[in-house]
Amino acid sequence: MTDTPQQSVTATAGIEPGEPSTDVAPAREAAAPARSLTSDAWRQLRRKPAFWFSVVLIALFVAMAAFPGLFTSIDPRQVFDVRQEPSAEHWFGTDGQGYDIYSRTIHGARASILVGILTTVATTLIGGAVGILAAYFGGWLDTIVSRITDVFFAIPVLLGGILFMSAFPSDQSTPYLSVVLKVVAALTILGWPSLARLMRGSVLQVLPNDYIQAARALGASPWRIITKHVLPNSLAPILVVSTINLGVFIVAEATLSFLGIGLVPPAVSWGVAINEGLTFLRTFPHIPLFPSLFLSLGVLAFIMLGDAARDAFDPKSR
Amino acid sequence: MRAKTRAAVVASLSATALLTACGGGGGGDAGGGGSTGGGQGAGGGEIVARGCQPQNPLIGGDTGESCGHDIVELFTSTLYKYDPDTAEPKADIAESIETTDNTNFTVKIKPGYKFQDGTEVKAKNFVDAWNYTAYAPNAQYLSYFMEPIAGFADLQSEDPDGDGPQKGPKPKAAKMSGLKVVDDHTFTIKTTTPVSNLPVRLGYTAFAPQPDAFFKDPKTFADKPIGAGPYQVVSYEKGRQAVLQKFSGYSGQFGGKVDKITFRIYQDIEAAYNDLLAGNLDVADELPASALVAKKFQSDLPDRWAQKAYPAIQTIMFAPDKVSPDYANPKIRQAISMSIDRQKIINDQFDGARQPATGWGAPGTQGYAEGLCGEFCTYNPTKAKQLLAEAGGFKGKLTISYNADAAHKDWVTATCNSIRTALGVDCVAAPVTDFATFRDQIGGGKLKGMFRSGWIADYPHIENFLTPQYSTGGSSNDNKYSNPAFDKKLVEAGTLEGEASLKAYQDAEKMLATGMPSIPMWYYTAQIGWSEKMNNVKVNVASGRPDLLSATVK
Repeated sequence: MTDTPQQSVTATAGIEPGEPSTDVAPAREAAAPARSLTSDAWRQLRRKPAFWFSVVLIALFVAMAAFPGLFTSIDPRQVFDVRQEPSAEHWFGTDGQGYDIYSRTIHGARASILVGILTTVATTLIGGAVGILAAYFGGWLDTIVSRITDVFFAIPVLLGGILFMSAFPSDQSTPYLSVVLKVVAALTILGWPSLARLMRGSVLQVLPNDYIQAARALGASPWRIITKHVLPNSLAPILVVSTINLGVFIVAEATLSFLGIGLVPPAVSWGVAINEGLTFLRTFPHIPLFPSLFLSLGVLAFIMLGDAARDAFDPKSR
Repeated sequence: MRAKTRAAVVASLSATALLTACGGGGGGDAGGGGSTGGGQGAGGGEIVARGCQPQNPLIGGDTGESCGHDIVELFTSTLYKYDPDTAEPKADIAESIETTDNTNFTVKIKPGYKFQDGTEVKAKNFVDAWNYTAYAPNAQYLSYFMEPIAGFADLQSEDPDGDGPQKGPKPKAAKMSGLKVVDDHTFTIKTTTPVSNLPVRLGYTAFAPQPDAFFKDPKTFADKPIGAGPYQVVSYEKGRQAVLQKFSGYSGQFGGKVDKITFRIYQDIEAAYNDLLAGNLDVADELPASALVAKKFQSDLPDRWAQKAYPAIQTIMFAPDKVSPDYANPKIRQAISMSIDRQKIINDQFDGARQPATGWGAPGTQGYAEGLCGEFCTYNPTKAKQLLAEAGGFKGKLTISYNADAAHKDWVTATCNSIRTALGVDCVAAPVTDFATFRDQIGGGKLKGMFRSGWIADYPHIENFLTPQYSTGGSSNDNKYSNPAFDKKLVEAGTLEGEASLKAYQDAEKMLATGMPSIPMWYYTAQIGWSEKMNNVKVNVASGRPDLLSATVK
C-alpha cells in the first residue's frame, strides 16, 4: 500500500525544487491505473487526524449555517437582562443589548460560511478559467491577463474591500442576501487574480507534455484538450490554495463587518458581534470572547483542511 | 497619524517645561503673559481638547450645534456671559440694559472693549451683526434668534416653492427697524412683542458682535474668524483641528488660564478616550459607552472625571410628515413613545447616569416643570399596543437614525429593541457617518423615519426648548411641526411677566403631547474626563461642556 508514495518520493527527488508534482502524476497513472492522484491523495488524507478534526468542525459550522434551529431555539434578537455571565440558561451569557450570545454566535455562522464558500467558488471558477485560457492560448491574451492581475495585485485586499463596500454602501433596509453578495463580490474582485496566476503557472507546466502533443497531433479540439488532459492534471494546486483561502475570506468578511461596512446590524455575524462586544472587552470579556472563539475555530478548520489537502496532493512533502 | 500625534504631544510637553523654567519671565512669544481673571492655579501651558466636526462655518450667527459652539464660545464675547457654576447671565460687554416695558431696551456697552484685530467693539458691530444674521439671503442658521426684534419680518422672503430649489425674492429691507445706533456705545432694541428674558438670551453666541472685517468678506472670514473673546483662532482645518491661542489684548473679565487650546477633531469617541488614557488628549467632553459600563471611567481616571446634570434633553424626532407620512398619525407616535422603557435603557446602557424625561423642557432651566408630557412618556406596553391598533398598525420597519461619530449606537439599538418587543413592529438603528452629514440630511429632508436629536439649552430658560424646535418655522424645527394654538401660546407667554409667563410656557409645552413632534427620552448628565496634567477642570452647568476657561495646567 505504501508502494506508490515511496516511488513518488524517489521520483520527485530528482526534480528541481519548484517543479510541481503534477507532471509526475500522469506517468504514475500509466504505471498503476487503479491509483489516480486523487485516490492517492484520499488514501493519504484519511489517515490524518487533523483532516478528520477539520472535517468534523466544518460539518458542524455548515450545519449551523444551514439549520441554526438545530442548535438553538432562541431568537437572536430576543432581549433578556443585559450583560449576564454564562449560565445554564444562557450558555454564553448575554451581551450589552441583552441578546443571548450563544444564539447569536450560532446564527452568525451563516454569514461567514456563506461568504467563505461563495467567494471561494467564485474566485476558483473565474481565476481557474482565466488562468487556463491565458496559459493555453498565450500571446496577447496571456499578456493582457498577466498585466490585469498585476494591477489587482497592487491593491491590498482589505483596502480594496473597504473601497468597494463604501462605494456600494448597505443600510438597514438592504436585504440580507444582497449584502452578503456585495461582500462576496468585493472579495471575488480582489481574490481571483492570485488563483488565475496559479492556474496559469500550473497549466504552463502541463502543456509541454507528450500526451498533450499527442492529443494535438490527433486533432483534438482545444476544448477537449483542456477538459480531458490539461484540467485534470493542473487542478491540484488551485484546489489546495482555494481551501486555504476560504478561511482567509471568512476573516476578511469578519474584518469588514467589524469595521461596520460589511454586514450591518440587524444582520448577525461574528464580525459584527466582535465589534459590538469590544465595548465590554475590559469589563465583561465573555461578550467578545465567544464570537471570536468561533471565528478562530472556523478559520482554523478550513486552513487545516487546506493544509492537509496540500500535503496529500504534494508527494514531495510526504 | 498616531506617530504624528505623539510627536505633537511631546513638543507641547517640552514647551510647557520651557515655560515653567522661564518662571513667567515676560511671557515670550507664546502669548503667555497677562493671565486675566483671578482664581487659583498658574496660567500658561497648552492643552488638547476633544473636538468634533462643526457643521457650519465658525460664525456666531451660524453655529447652533455644540461642535462649533465650543470653539465659537471661546473666541467671541457677548453682552452677557453665563456663570459656569450657576448658569446666571452676568454682564460681559454690556454696561447696562434698561427697559420699562419689556419692549424698548436701551443697551449701553463698555467702552474700550477690543476685538482681536485691535478695533473697538462699538454699538454698530452689534447692530450690523444681528442684521446680517437676520437677513434671509445670508441663510444664517440662528437667524430665528432675531425674530423678536421689530422689523425682522421685512428681512425675510417667502420661498415660492416651500423648501424647493427656487430662491425667494429679495427681502424688503436689509436692516431691522427695531435696532438703532444712538452713539458708539449705545443702541436701542425694540421688540414686536414684550420679551421677559432678554438678558438671558443675549448671552448666547448668536448675539455676538462682529468686527468690521467680517462684513467685507464673511466667507473667508470664517476660515480664521475674529471675535472679542478670551481666545483667538490661530488656525482651523476642517476635519482635523482648530487651534486657539490666548488673546493677550482681551478686555473682559472672563479670561482663560491656559495659553493654547487645540480642538482635535475625532470621528470616534472611543479613539478619543483611548488617547485620553494614553495622555495624548487632555480634556474629553464626552465618554464612550465602554467607559460608562459598570462606571469603568471612575477607575480609569481616578479623580480625573466629573459628572453633572445640565439643561439638555435627548429626544427622538420624527421626520416631517411630508418626508415620512407613515409616522404622521399622532397615535402611532404616542404608541412608540409609550413602548420605550426609558429607565431600563438608562440602567442598561448608561449605568443609570441619565434621568428619564417627562416633558420637552429640561431641569435646571427657568420654568421647568415635571410631567408635562403625561402618560405618553410613561412606559406602558399594553396601552401602546392598543394605540397602535387604533391607528391601524404600522407597515414595514421603524428606523431610528443616529450620528455614528458619538456614543449613540447602543442606546438607539436598545430603544429599538424596547419598541420591537413592546409593539411587535420591527425596528432598526441606522447609523449616519458623522454629525455634519447627519444634520445636513435632516435639513435636506433626506432622512426618513425617526432620528435622534439632542437639545442643549442655548440660554437656560424653558422658552429655548420650545420656540426653536416646535414653533412654526423655527430654525431647528426638524419635524416642521406647526400648531397655531401652540404658537399663539408662546407669543402670549412672552408678553407676560414672571410666574404667569412661565406658566403659559408650561401650558404650551403640554400641548406638544397631542401632536407628539418628538419623543422625550431623558435629560443628560455630562460626564467629562481629563488628563493627569490638568487641574481645575469642571463642568459648565450652562452648557454641560468642560469649562475650558477655568482649566489650568499643572
